[in-house]
Amino acid sequence: MEQEGFTPIPKNLQFRVGLLLGLTFMVAAGFILYALYARGVFEATQRLTLVSDNAEGVSLGMDLSFSGFPIGRVVRISLADDGRARIEVEVPRKDARWLRVTSIFTLERGIVGGARIRAFSGNLQDPPLPDGAERPVLRGDTQEEIPRMVATLRSTLENIEQLTGPGGSLQQSLGNLRTATERVGGRHGALGAVLGNDEDAKKVVAAIERANALLASMSGVVAKTDQRVLGPGGVVEGTQRAVDQANVILNELRESLKRVDKILADAQSVSGNAKAATQDLAALRAEVDASLRKVTGLIDEINRKWPFQRDSEIRLP
Amino acid sequence: MSTPQAAFAWFRAWGRAALFAAAAAAAALSLSAYTARTRTLAMRQIYFNAWHVLPGFTVFMALLSWVVIQITISLARDYGLAQFALELVFRAVVLELIPLLTAFYVALRSGAAIATEVAMMRVSGELDELLSAHIDPYEREFVPRIAATAVSVFALTIVSCTVVMFVAYLVTYGANPSGFAEFSRTVARVFGPYALTGLAVKCLAFGAVVAVIPIAAGLDATREPESAPDAVMGGMVRLFVTLALIELISLAVKYV
Repeated sequence: MEQEGFTPIPKNLQFRVGLLLGLTFMVAAGFILYALYARGVFEATQRLTLVSDNAEGVSLGMDLSFSGFPIGRVVRISLADDGRARIEVEVPRKDARWLRVTSIFTLERGIVGGARIRAFSGNLQDPPLPDGAERPVLRGDTQEEIPRMVATLRSTLENIEQLTGPGGSLQQSLGNLRTATERVGGRHGALGAVLGNDEDAKKVVAAIERANALLASMSGVVAKTDQRVLGPGGVVEGTQRAVDQANVILNELRESLKRVDKILADAQSVSGNAKAATQDLAALRAEVDASLRKVTGLIDEINRKWPFQRDSEIRLP
Repeated sequence: MSTPQAAFAWFRAWGRAALFAAAAAAAALSLSAYTARTRTLAMRQIYFNAWHVLPGFTVFMALLSWVVIQITISLARDYGLAQFALELVFRAVVLELIPLLTAFYVALRSGAAIATEVAMMRVSGELDELLSAHIDPYEREFVPRIAATAVSVFALTIVSCTVVMFVAYLVTYGANPSGFAEFSRTVARVFGPYALTGLAVKCLAFGAVVAVIPIAAGLDATREPESAPDAVMGGMVRLFVTLALIELISLAVKYV
C-alpha cells in the first residue's frame, strides 16, 4: 500500500495538501464572513415592528422596500396575544432615515411571487422613526380581490350581453336610429323623422302652406285698414274735422256766454226796467239752450267717432 | 440466485456497511489512529482525490454552472421573474447541484478505486496478514482513507461553490460592480445560518459515505478473485442510493 504504482507522489505533498486545506478553510471562513456581512451583522440596525391581522406570505429574510429599494429585512414573525401577527423588521441605521413617524407600511400580495412589504414616507422632513417603533401595516391582497373582480366582471358582461343580444335595447335603439335616418333621407326629411310618420308630416306641410296664404290675405287686410283709418276720408281725418267743428262751436258758445255775462251784469245793475230785461232774458235763454243742444250733439258725435274717449263730461264755466 | 436469497444478501450488505461505518467511527475516535503513517496516507489520499483534479474539476463545474445559470436567468427574465432568478440559482445550483455532482464525481473516481483496492487486499490476503500480525486495518488503512475522502469532497465542494458564485454574479450582472448590493442581499436571504450548517453537514456526509460504502463493499470480497467485481459493483450501487438518499433528506429537511 505504500507504493502508488501509476501516479507519482510529489515531494512537497505535505505543502500541497496543506495549501489545499488552507485554501478551503480560508474560502469557507471568507464566505461565512461575507454571508454575515450580507445579513447585516456588522452594521448598526434598529427594530421596527409591523402589526398585521394576517402575516400570510411573509417569510423570514423578506425585504422591506422603499421606492423599490430594500432597506430592511424581516427577522422575526410571531403571533401576539391579541391574535395579530407581529412582523419584526431590522433596518440598518443608514437606511432608517427614509422612515419617518408619518411613514405608512403596506403588505401586498401579487399574483406572482411572494408578499411585499413596502414603506411610504410622504414627508421626509418629519421626525425620524424611533427605534423599536410599532406600526400597523395595511394589507392589499390581489388574490383576494380576484373573486370579487370576477363577480363584478361577470355581471357587467351579462349586462352587456343583454344590451347587445337579439331583442336587446341596443339592437332596438339601433333599429330606431336606422328608421329615423331613413326618414331623414326620405321625402319629408328631418320633419318626417321628428313627427314619426308621413301623414303628420303632410299635415304640417299643409298647415304651413295655409299659414302662408293667410299671411298674404292678412297683409291685404292690413293695407285696407291702413287706408280706411289713415287715408283720405278715413277715420282719423273725420275725427279731425269734427274737432275743428267743435272748436268753432265752442268759440260761439264762449261769445254767447260773454254776452250772458254782460246781460247779467246789466240785469244786476238795472232793476228798473225789469220787464224788458225779463223779455231779453227769455230770448237769451232760448239761445243758450240751442247752443247747449248743439254742443251736446257735437260731443255725442265725437264720442261716436272716437271710441276711446268715454268721459263725455263737459265742464261749463 | 433466488429472489429471497438476493433480498437477504442485499439487506446483509447494507447491514455490513452500517456496521463498518460504526466501527470506522469508533476507530477514528481512538488516538492510536493518528500516527505519522496514517497522516501520510491521508495526505496522499487527499492529494489524489482533490488536489490532483482541482483545476480540471473547477473548470468543468464553472462551465456547467455557466450554462445552467445562463438558461435559468434568461428564462426567468423572459417570464418576468428576474428578481427570483439569482435566488433560484443559489438554492438549486450552489446548495444542491454542485455538492451532489462533486460527491458523484469523487465517488466515481476515488470510491470505485478504494473499493477495488480493498477488494484486492482481501483477495490477496493482505488484510488477513494484518489481522494475524495484530495490526488493526481500520486504524491503519480505513480511517485515513475515510477522513481524507470526506475532506476532499468538502474541499472540492467549497472551492466549486465559490467559483460558481462568481460565475453567477458575472452571468447576472456582467463585470459591473454595482450589482454587488443586490447580490449580497440575495446571499443574505439564501445563506442563513441553517443553510450554511446544512451545506457543511451535507458535504461531510457525502464525503464520509463516498469512502465508507466502497470500503465496506471491498470487504465483502472473498479470497476468490471473481468475488471482487461483484463486491465493487454492489458497493457502487449502494453508494449511489445513499448519496441520493442524503440529498433527498437534505431537501426534505429544508423545504418540506
